[in-house]
Amino acid sequence: MTPPSGPTRDPVVEERRQRAVESLQLSEGQKDERFERITRLARTVFGVPMTTITILDNDRAWFPSAQGVDVSEMPRVETFCDRTTDEGRLLMVEDASQDERFRHLPLVEHGHVRFYAGHPLRDAIGNVVGTFCIYDSEPRTLDGDLLVAFRDMAAWAEQELVSSAEMSQAGHVQASMLPARAVRTGGWEINGLCLPALAVGGDFYDYGVTNGVVHLGLGDVMGKGTGAALVGAGVRAAIRSTNAAVTAGVDLGITATQVARSLLPDLERTESFVTLFEAAIDLDDGFTRYVDAGAGLCLLVHGDGSEQRLDSVDRPFGILPDDHWSEHQVTLEPGSRMLVFSDGLLDLIDDPIEWWHEVGALMRRADDVGTLLELVARLARDRTALDDVTAVAVFRAPVAGDAR
Amino acid sequence: MIEFAVHTRDDGVGVVTPEGRLNMVSARRLKEILSELVSAGTTRIVVDMGETSFLDSSGLGALIGGLKSARQAGGDLRIARVSPAVMTVFELTNLDRVLRARESVDGAFDD
Repeated sequence: MTPPSGPTRDPVVEERRQRAVESLQLSEGQKDERFERITRLARTVFGVPMTTITILDNDRAWFPSAQGVDVSEMPRVETFCDRTTDEGRLLMVEDASQDERFRHLPLVEHGHVRFYAGHPLRDAIGNVVGTFCIYDSEPRTLDGDLLVAFRDMAAWAEQELVSSAEMSQAGHVQASMLPARAVRTGGWEINGLCLPALAVGGDFYDYGVTNGVVHLGLGDVMGKGTGAALVGAGVRAAIRSTNAAVTAGVDLGITATQVARSLLPDLERTESFVTLFEAAIDLDDGFTRYVDAGAGLCLLVHGDGSEQRLDSVDRPFGILPDDHWSEHQVTLEPGSRMLVFSDGLLDLIDDPIEWWHEVGALMRRADDVGTLLELVARLARDRTALDDVTAVAVFRAPVAGDAR
Repeated sequence: MIEFAVHTRDDGVGVVTPEGRLNMVSARRLKEILSELVSAGTTRIVVDMGETSFLDSSGLGALIGGLKSARQAGGDLRIARVSPAVMTVFELTNLDRVLRARESVDGAFDD
């Protein structure tokens, strides 16, 4: 490929490049530590006063991270990076004041920059989405080990820039697979919350209403991060495929066992397992069927204030090939509240062994589902959750339709 | 970084002692150690949990994986000296009956 030189720039290439920049979805004006540590370290390694990671965005240049630079953006035509981007390869200018291409730049004329080295940063399909640059106010050069280090750090910056974009998009996709809104009908309120520890996670929840029956589920795939998220998406889809049967009244133990059997080869190959709580609630009378696959983390606070843990002796999916699961029954009478959650929440409470005291207190304290989920989110925030934290709450008003 | 003490007793039983937190990172190492033991012919393994302060689902996955491969090779994997806090992880997931906790390392293979 012959790079265009000077002012002739292929508009098609530039348009594609601009779209690639926008798809990174970087947030301006927000310091990201992943970029900051690269520019900081570069300043020390190369002994230069200024370093930047630069993004050329239409006709301006802005810096996701910069050290020793006191502006947040500048006109694109006034940058060295404009040239680095067009040429698409490492550009080193030992003394800009002696270089016809750059001596007119304000940075050079004002004596701020004499030396520049810049490396293009490309996305997965080769678009130059940014540059990694170091600057000095004195002429100098870069060779030997330092040149190798410069290329290495550019590769690092490229990785952070592109992979972080990919992960945040994956996070958006995963979040958009959760139910979009709360269920509010005839005195019932149901909503959930999922806070992955990393960009994506292995927890998921789902609920939906069919013919007056809510089918809800909360699953937790072993581990966290991308691998767990991929397995989780498959489990969620497999459970969804039983919606119609479950809401029509088929025994939950039977559907859960079918789902577990269909998932077993995948779970064995990925050496993973899944804990799951699944329930079908009849919104007319509160009659509830549930199955627990090694989750053990569902608390029901009855209308009269008594507590009941909805658990079982059944194992997670993916442990033993001939396991089976059983349906249990309970009634959510008016005034009852139910909370299903993942073990990420256990790490955040004071007594994870007898967790139901503290969780029960949280459930009683909240006026509604939204408040309870906010209390959970605040715990995750204040105590820095290390694992995915997921919860689904079901509240039934004391008398149907009665606002409390 | 978690440490793993590994030794094989005179009766052929392998003893693995994870010291510290068994999480996603250290679970990978435990899985390797267990599969190396099994493929080297040590199919009866005790995991001494006496020094394990924390166990998450990845750690649990490594133990279950080790149990499966040990049983496939005709042996077994047992856990011993589990603290009450770590025991709740086995109980919540109902895996306490698949991996029954033993009082002591020495007697873990007595039954």
